[in-house]
Amino acid sequence: MDFTLTDEQQMLRDTARTLLAKECPTALVRAHIEDPSVADALWLRLADFAPLAAGPLSDLCLFVEETGYVAAPGPFFATTALFASVLAAAGDDRAQAAQAGEITGTVALAGVDGVWRPNDDPVKCFVPEADRVDWVAVVEPGPTVRVVPPAVLSTRLLNTVDWSRRLFEVEVADVDEASTPIDGAALERAVRCAIVALAAEQVGTARRLFDMALEYAKQRVQFDHPIGSFQAIQHRLADLSLAVERADAAAQYAAMTVDADHDDARRAAHVAKAAAGTAATRAAKDSIQVHGGIGYTWEHDLHLFIRRAYGAEAWLGTTGWHHDQLAALLFDA
Amino acid sequence: MRLSFGPEVEAFRDELGTFLDEHAPAEALAGYDFADSGAETRVDLIPQWARDWQATLFDHGWMIPGYPRELGGRDATPVQTLVYLEEMARRRIPRSLHFPGYAIVAPSLLEFGDDAQQALVAPAIRGDTVWCIGMSEPNAGSDLAGLQTRAELDGDRFVVNGQKVWTSYAMVAEKCFVYVRTNPNVPKHRGISLLIVDMDTPGIDVRPLRHISGAANFAEVFFTDVEVPAANVVGEVNDGWRITQGSLAHERAGLWVEGVCRLESTVQSLVDVAHRQGMDHDSGVRRQLAAFYEQAASLRALGYKGFASFAQGSSAPEHSYLKMATSELGKAAYELGMQLQGPYAPARDSERGEENGRWANMFFMSFANTIAGGSSEIQRNIIAQRVLGLPRA
Ligand SMILES: Cc1cc2nc3c(=O)[nH]c(=O)nc-3n(C[C@H](O)[C@H](O)[C@H](O)COP(=O)(O)OP(=O)(O)OC[C@H]3O[C@@H](n4cnc5c(N)ncnc54)[C@H](O)[C@@H]3O)c2cc1C
Repeated sequence: MDFTLTDEQQMLRDTARTLLAKECPTALVRAHIEDPSVADALWLRLADFAPLAAGPLSDLCLFVEETGYVAAPGPFFATTALFASVLAAAGDDRAQAAQAGEITGTVALAGVDGVWRPNDDPVKCFVPEADRVDWVAVVEPGPTVRVVPPAVLSTRLLNTVDWSRRLFEVEVADVDEASTPIDGAALERAVRCAIVALAAEQVGTARRLFDMALEYAKQRVQFDHPIGSFQAIQHRLADLSLAVERADAAAQYAAMTVDADHDDARRAAHVAKAAAGTAATRAAKDSIQVHGGIGYTWEHDLHLFIRRAYGAEAWLGTTGWHHDQLAALLFDA
Repeated sequence: MRLSFGPEVEAFRDELGTFLDEHAPAEALAGYDFADSGAETRVDLIPQWARDWQATLFDHGWMIPGYPRELGGRDATPVQTLVYLEEMARRRIPRSLHFPGYAIVAPSLLEFGDDAQQALVAPAIRGDTVWCIGMSEPNAGSDLAGLQTRAELDGDRFVVNGQKVWTSYAMVAEKCFVYVRTNPNVPKHRGISLLIVDMDTPGIDVRPLRHISGAANFAEVFFTDVEVPAANVVGEVNDGWRITQGSLAHERAGLWVEGVCRLESTVQSLVDVAHRQGMDHDSGVRRQLAAFYEQAASLRALGYKGFASFAQGSSAPEHSYLKMATSELGKAAYELGMQLQGPYAPARDSERGEENGRWANMFFMSFANTIAGGSSEIQRNIIAQRVLGLPRA
């Protein structure tokens, strides 16, 4: 295994970092709480990177990690990591349009239990950005895919702590759109890509929370010393940084296994999502603890990332669910 | 980013495999679980098969592959060395049952030793000379620089007085790396020197200490007016601290592969125990084991990631992370192995206990891993201050 980034990957990461810091300040994340349309302008900038959806997952993950670092709202993740790959698996040529950044889309697949596998539930749940994309790919038992405009769906916003990713329950009324069959294994692979991409995004969020805590620990003085010189704070941050680094490595490894169609890809994806979810939620709790009272305020940006961390932890399988899947592979395989 | 290192490296792995299939003795194949645990059943600390095996590895250039031929290697690249460590750990084959000589003494002498001292390197790696390391003292553990064993220069020799403790292999060693205070009048890091001491020098008294497991494989070592030739100082007088920093780094650099592989095989064994104990449908146990698997797998990835920058010449903080994490997790995993046996958790009984008490034994042995070689707390200090750049108190 060689984790060395190529020069192009290094450049992609740097570009993403600079672009997102500029285009997605926390002011935008805050404004999006009241008015989701503020994400439209951001999408126009990020659409230039939608072609990453057509390349290796490793590269898409590098970019998506940076979107997690800024808690970017909008349809980028749904379009590139879900919609484009599910449509590509179904052989639908709107996949190319999504990969070109010309259209946005999302996927409706999970039922009320939140598991992203074909099911009979009439209501599809946890569908990101369902009201503001151009197309919704509804996956039904078969499995088949029906691609419809949001207008023909009845949608209900699921109110969660995380306003930066809007999740919907959708119901398909009678529609004319035909459904096309999709290969079960290809669908599973597409969902796996999304899981790994979300793990990368969570790593970005975890890193943001960690960076904020570290910076604050160096600068805040109590008892005449920076609080970061106190061992209780040092050890908390040392343990947290291990959790973040571990998750980062796990997510990168998972993306490599998916790209290589490696035998270990299934396990690696579960490992990545569990490690990243654990790291991000731990970072959320540790970071606010290190910040003290200031981190508890609405004005401080910390809560934006704490929200993102808990929203992502519950989406596309909780840590507990991924552990159960891993256990099945360990015990029952 | 690539998943494999390429065909040349895999060819190297195959060559090693062929060698091991042909030469590894049955005792080495039995796995290092017990081999290095100092289980009380073992009379001989370094049995003859282990001496022969280490010499065989050396003679075939498989002892430290990155070294040249005459030092028991084959000028392997860093990536090949990684593959070597991985393959040995995967097969659970120990290289040697006494690490101080090849892992600490040899690299330190290569870096700091004079011509005469360089000649000690090959026999240390081949295991012909057994070494021990005299760093810790009753009042100097984590705070190694506080060591008090005195060495006073008297003409062409040093006279050494003081005490070392927890000295592994002292009762079988021929030579010792002894850290001594040569100047008590300067800040503590600046008055330390490293001496090579023959263990049969008059005035050395080795008193074996029994481990928590019951075996004796470390000792207290007392020095009373021990005369050591002045030529036996390694590097400059009063410059010994620099060498301690080097030797600990050497110790850590390759250890993570072993730590991770050991953890992975422990998780696999735990799955087997859970099956045998009828706990394989217990959802709590399943999630616990999955969490162990997750941690082992992600630590492996982290190790490789650190290795990528390490092989390119930058320092790799990942090694402190891995030392801390694998030792802590190992302890927790062995404890789970006990817990899976319910009321028989502490049993070391061939009728009732799993694998003849392996889990309780290993759990007890594993306490050492979060203490020795820089405790977990010391690792956290290192990460906080040197990796994260937090200020010292
Ligand atoms: C099996 C085994 C083999 C060993 N072999 C050798 C050998 O061959 N040669 C040799 O020289 N030594 C050897 N040692 C000794 C080993 O290096 C020391 O045990 C180790 O350095 C810790 O020192 P200590 O035992 O004095 O504990 P202490 O340093 O007294 O530590 C006690 C506790 O205090 C904590 N602590 C100490 N300082 C700090 C700090 N600054 N911040 C936070 N917490 C702190 C420690 O983490 C630990 O929890 C061996 C030890 C073991 C267990």
